[in-house]
Amino acid sequence: MTLRKRESLTGWGITSTYLAYMAVFWGYPFVWMFILAFTKWRFFGSPKFYGLRNFMRVFRDPMFWTVFTNTLTFMMYFLPMVLTGAMIFALAVKRMKYLKTFVTLSFLVAYISSGVAYSIVFMNIFSDVGPINHFLYKHFGITIPWLTSPQLAMLTIALMVTWKFIGYYGLILYSGLQAIPKSLYEAAELDGANNWIKFWKITVPLINPAIVTVLVLSINLSFGIFTEPYMITGGGPMNKTMTFMMYMYETAFQRIRPSYATAFAIVTALINYGLIIAVRKAVEREVSVV
Amino acid sequence: MREVIFHSVMIFLALLWIYPYFWMFLTSFKLPEEMFTRFWPTRLTLEHYNFIFHMSKKLQRPFVRAFLNSVFISTIVTFSVIITAAIIAYPLAKLRIKGRNVVFNFIIFQMLFPGFMFIIPLFVLVKNLGLLNTYRAMILPYLMSAWAVFMMIQSYKSIPKDYIEAAKIDGANVLWIIFKVMVPLARGTVAIVGLFTFNGIWDNFMWPLIVVKDYNKMPLSVLLATFNHEYASYVGPLLAGSVLQTIPMVLIFVIFRKHFLQGISMSFK
Repeated sequence: MTLRKRESLTGWGITSTYLAYMAVFWGYPFVWMFILAFTKWRFFGSPKFYGLRNFMRVFRDPMFWTVFTNTLTFMMYFLPMVLTGAMIFALAVKRMKYLKTFVTLSFLVAYISSGVAYSIVFMNIFSDVGPINHFLYKHFGITIPWLTSPQLAMLTIALMVTWKFIGYYGLILYSGLQAIPKSLYEAAELDGANNWIKFWKITVPLINPAIVTVLVLSINLSFGIFTEPYMITGGGPMNKTMTFMMYMYETAFQRIRPSYATAFAIVTALINYGLIIAVRKAVEREVSVV
Repeated sequence: MREVIFHSVMIFLALLWIYPYFWMFLTSFKLPEEMFTRFWPTRLTLEHYNFIFHMSKKLQRPFVRAFLNSVFISTIVTFSVIITAAIIAYPLAKLRIKGRNVVFNFIIFQMLFPGFMFIIPLFVLVKNLGLLNTYRAMILPYLMSAWAVFMMIQSYKSIPKDYIEAAKIDGANVLWIIFKVMVPLARGTVAIVGLFTFNGIWDNFMWPLIVVKDYNKMPLSVLLATFNHEYASYVGPLLAGSVLQTIPMVLIFVIFRKHFLQGISMSFK
């Protein structure tokens, strides 16, 4: 046997293990995803062909539009907060001379918090008797119904998620900043540019890939929110924190409509992709440092 | 002077950012009547920890067992993901085999799908295999990861061929090359894969919530969530449980923080 042949034999021996595993745990569900989406089935008996009716029902479902609006609301709060926050964090860390590691790690430790645990913690911090309202009442004589008001509940969840992700996204932007050559700023200073101009004309265009990464990550995250509303609000008050994932979970496993929920998940993924493609088209630029 | 103010603001913000952790930790040691009324407790108590370590068993909420379940599941999955990815990435990065690009593109294709699309179909699979309410339901679907294989391929690609040729001349077999040559040279990526996998499985919530209903088999995340739904007024034990749930993740983060920081700048490229 030639060396080449032996190499190809071991190579395929190893690769086929991966393919065999994925055939079961990826391929089989992948096929079932389509079976479910185009049939009517409730986990028992045999699936009945249902055509595109599951998909049509999604758009006629008022809950779909509620969930859709809620997710847009979440993004309207979350994206600007996390993007400006992360940008300020990145610029500030770059400027820092002392205790850089301490500050970075303090922000990052929020990112590795456990979803369930931090939901419990924030639920109590934001509760009517929690420390934030305690502080507000003592100094301003007011309390804010953070989680019980239909108008505020989504904002509060967006605040929690922002707390969690600013450090992580900030570091992504920071590693983009590190790659910008200093000489560009020096040249701009010679031309009399101030900080504001330098930021918009040099920094922002040059860290475009990092900004796109952060945008893509945070949009994907907005479609995947589950633990926080499940733990804290249960989708309420008045369904104002019902998310795509909450509704998919409840439809499939509490109302036992897995085929409808699968069609719903596919539509969700398509909206998610559509938005990502639109944002990339609008924001992404070719970057080259000459 | 400006520098001093700037640095003070940053330190204040950093402290504000760890405040939720600090509040959780401190409050889990407070007396119930002082939890929401005082910042500094007059006296510390272990009653909440006593509750989750001893008394919760009588309520059929075995926290210690759930903690060990989480350790068990996360450890097996993490080791499996690392070892399988280390082996599988080797032929895909370094061996001349036919169809290598097809497999590589398949891996990329797999990564395009968000995990939530697979939850219901995967539930059908696990149900058809008769695995509902078992540890296997939480372990088997995660034993190999397309993302981990992809990361290892990218890392192996930058290793010069000379190392492999030298080992081959010494008569090394494939596994020896992988674990004695490739893995040590790619240990940064291995650490990142391990860290993200461990945290991902430890903090996995929706999947075990769906497949496990037996309190004795629940991971800590799910047990804590069900306890929160049923006994929301038991704030002390809930926070003690949250501390328990948080500690391993923070510990691993602190140990591997260097790799973690590298991983972030890598994931952006």
